[in-house]
Amino acid sequence: MALLQLSAFPSTIESIFRNAPLAIQIAMVFIVVAITGTALAYYSILRSRYRGYRRDKKLSVLLPEIDNLIIDEVLTNPDMQQDIPADQVPLNLEPFQRLPLDRPWARQALTDRIIHFRRNVRGNMGNLLRNLYIQLELDKDTMKKMKSRRWEKKVQALVELTSLNMSIADVTILPLTNSRNRELRAAARHAYIKLSKNEPFKFFDVVTDPLLMWDQVELFRIITTTEGIAIPNFARWITYSGNKSVVSFCLKLVVHYNQLAAVPAIIKLLDTRDHYLRADAINCLGKLKVAEAEDQLVRIYTSQPLHCQIEILKAIGRISSGRNIDFLKTEFLHSTDFDLRKSAAKSLVKNEWFAKQVIDELLATSSPENLRILKHCMNPLIKY
Amino acid sequence: MTGIAETLARIYEGAIFVYGLVLLLTYAMLAILSIIAVRQYVKRSSYHQLNLLAGSPLAPGITVLAPAFNEGLTIISNVRSLLTLNYPRYEIIIINDGSTDNTMEQLVDEFKLVEVDFAFTVKIRSQPIRRVFKSTDPAYSSLLVIDKVNGKSKADAVNAGINIATFDYFLCTDVDCILHKDTLLELIKPVMQEPKKRVIAIGATLRIANSCEFDEGVMTRMRPPRQLLPRFQEVEYIRAFVLGKMGWSYLNCVPNVSGGLGLFDKEIAIRCGGYDHSSFGEDMELMTRMCRYAYDNRIDYAIRYIPKTLCWTEAPTSLKIFRRQRTRWARGLAQLTFAHFGMFFNPRYGKMGLVIFPYNFFFELLAPIIEFTGIIVYIVLSIMGYINWPYALLLLLFVYTYSVMITTIAILWDQITFRYYKSWREVLYLCMTPFMEFLLYHPLIVFFSLQGYYYFLTGKKSTWGNMQRQGFGKKKS
Repeated sequence: MALLQLSAFPSTIESIFRNAPLAIQIAMVFIVVAITGTALAYYSILRSRYRGYRRDKKLSVLLPEIDNLIIDEVLTNPDMQQDIPADQVPLNLEPFQRLPLDRPWARQALTDRIIHFRRNVRGNMGNLLRNLYIQLELDKDTMKKMKSRRWEKKVQALVELTSLNMSIADVTILPLTNSRNRELRAAARHAYIKLSKNEPFKFFDVVTDPLLMWDQVELFRIITTTEGIAIPNFARWITYSGNKSVVSFCLKLVVHYNQLAAVPAIIKLLDTRDHYLRADAINCLGKLKVAEAEDQLVRIYTSQPLHCQIEILKAIGRISSGRNIDFLKTEFLHSTDFDLRKSAAKSLVKNEWFAKQVIDELLATSSPENLRILKHCMNPLIKY
Repeated sequence: MTGIAETLARIYEGAIFVYGLVLLLTYAMLAILSIIAVRQYVKRSSYHQLNLLAGSPLAPGITVLAPAFNEGLTIISNVRSLLTLNYPRYEIIIINDGSTDNTMEQLVDEFKLVEVDFAFTVKIRSQPIRRVFKSTDPAYSSLLVIDKVNGKSKADAVNAGINIATFDYFLCTDVDCILHKDTLLELIKPVMQEPKKRVIAIGATLRIANSCEFDEGVMTRMRPPRQLLPRFQEVEYIRAFVLGKMGWSYLNCVPNVSGGLGLFDKEIAIRCGGYDHSSFGEDMELMTRMCRYAYDNRIDYAIRYIPKTLCWTEAPTSLKIFRRQRTRWARGLAQLTFAHFGMFFNPRYGKMGLVIFPYNFFFELLAPIIEFTGIIVYIVLSIMGYINWPYALLLLLFVYTYSVMITTIAILWDQITFRYYKSWREVLYLCMTPFMEFLLYHPLIVFFSLQGYYYFLTGKKSTWGNMQRQGFGKKKS
């Protein structure tokens, strides 16, 4: 009886569905969709957590094993204590072969740990880790990823190659530096700078799209931390590059490397029509403490937009030559803009060695608001 | 006469059905878009190392603004939590908004604060700042505390902080919120990675802190709340942030960046006048004005959202406080719609006028009213014997199953991406919540929203008040 009723159930539903108005038909379809969707969602949560749990469990066993092996065979290798070059140190690969390296996830875990350790060591030790990576043929996996059609695989491969300082032909990377995919393009540029044997900064000549702030952070880190990289004179791009973001980035590099040879190019940049770039140039001159540029900065001051004026006042403070105390005093006393007065006061305080008398005089005679600004700038507890 | 009534009932019935269907389809669309956006985020963030930025001299400066009003119970651990933020260039400004408890004294004692002569210019109007404090301990050099006259609103306190802020971006949070240590790194990333648009605001997912474990203001164990009311809110937050806001973010149509955690472009915020201290939904109101300003000045802007949970906040556990919070939010929404009604379907305001505003109007503001009238009509029709009960129950089942599905999908997106909770039981606990949400929690939301609208219409007085917090102590051993 019950079986009979059960077999009649679909047909009952079908007849209800057929005879129902459109709204109810839609509702019935949605009910089925919702119940199925919810059940699928539950299944997916369960599956994803189970897979995650399995992965964590496997890695919780494997990772300490990998770490111990790397520490025992590489980091505390007795040959390393004797300053033997990394390529002459024989590596005992046998214990590594006992790892389940026939599984892709295990090989990837090993690659990731080698990269992790390599980030934390320098010189010979780093080279030995690289040798381990090569001798275990993990580089073949990376090269396979490089040939993948999926951009994320390519990016992963480039990151691995860059982290392990693996040499790779310029022709392989260079086309990727202009890829339409932003992530891939950025990864390729980083790899090119780090790995190119010829002209690591070549893409600065050809890059047409703006270097994003994030790209600049990544490039800055790679350029400033790569060992043995030939640092060019960045004046070349400051003078000739049509890409404003490249020029702005080169100004930051000039400051980092204290490239005084680039000063004439930066001074020329003061004539640029782009006032953001001009502000960057003024900032750079200040940080390089180029006293020769000070008079020119004071000369152009009145014709500049506010943010360039602020940069000029800051630059005079950084240069601290004491030649423009009167100019700073005038700006502090007579400027109508608060930020200009504050910047002038800060620069006066930075020039304290020469401006002590002026500061004392201002402390005694300033208006309450100016006095507050001056005290603010003189207080060592206040940073900005 | 009966014929007219029947026709009207049919029209009403049809209109409500279409309304409901559009709403549900919108949710389906958001579910699809959100998973695309979430996966995109996860894929990208796996290649971008945050520690690169953490050690970079090129990182843009950020000011953290945290207003506090009578937060004596939790202020020290909360400020300590803010001091653990991992970022190379930032300052923390705690705004004591005229607290009447010992908030200020505790801060002075704990962080060795001394009064300083601090020069600033008022760019946005706020109640006067009485004193500014800096710490003599170099360990707290990034901390600045301002003591101001109570402005009776969070908006006024934040405006005072914006006036003092040094950097171009400011992060607005509540002092009782616990932030993830990488919050600043995560939130500034979309600004630095945006190729064309000016990113004016960035938000991230918020969670309920109630059952989580904390040690010295740092979260050590994440758990779904044990109590039912906060757990409903946890589920609601997951749906709103991971599914809703991420979906809208994909279309660059984010309607609001939460007041609990948001990074803003200071210049735009100042130019559009800062927070409105008379608004009850000051976060949404500021966002609307910032968008409006961007459209009026032809600034190609973007508002971004991050699916990762970066902030934990204490949820109300009693109905009384929950009611206060929700009536306030509803009132804020009504106020905002009324104040900016000129943007409604106005093509001059692009997506804001044609998508966000109509969506907010029809599906956020009107939804409780429509639901309430629906219940009234239902009762009237059932008394008159016009209800076809099998069909009515089918429709109810339709709405119920669909709402459960959407919430479960939101939990799924969250789980497959981040796997936040440690045990299976905790996830199951959370997954069961949507089944009760529709029956127990949703009616409360509708009721409190209607109450909020009523207060808006009658102009009932209200202030930003004490949430009666429990605080985030260390787990009892």
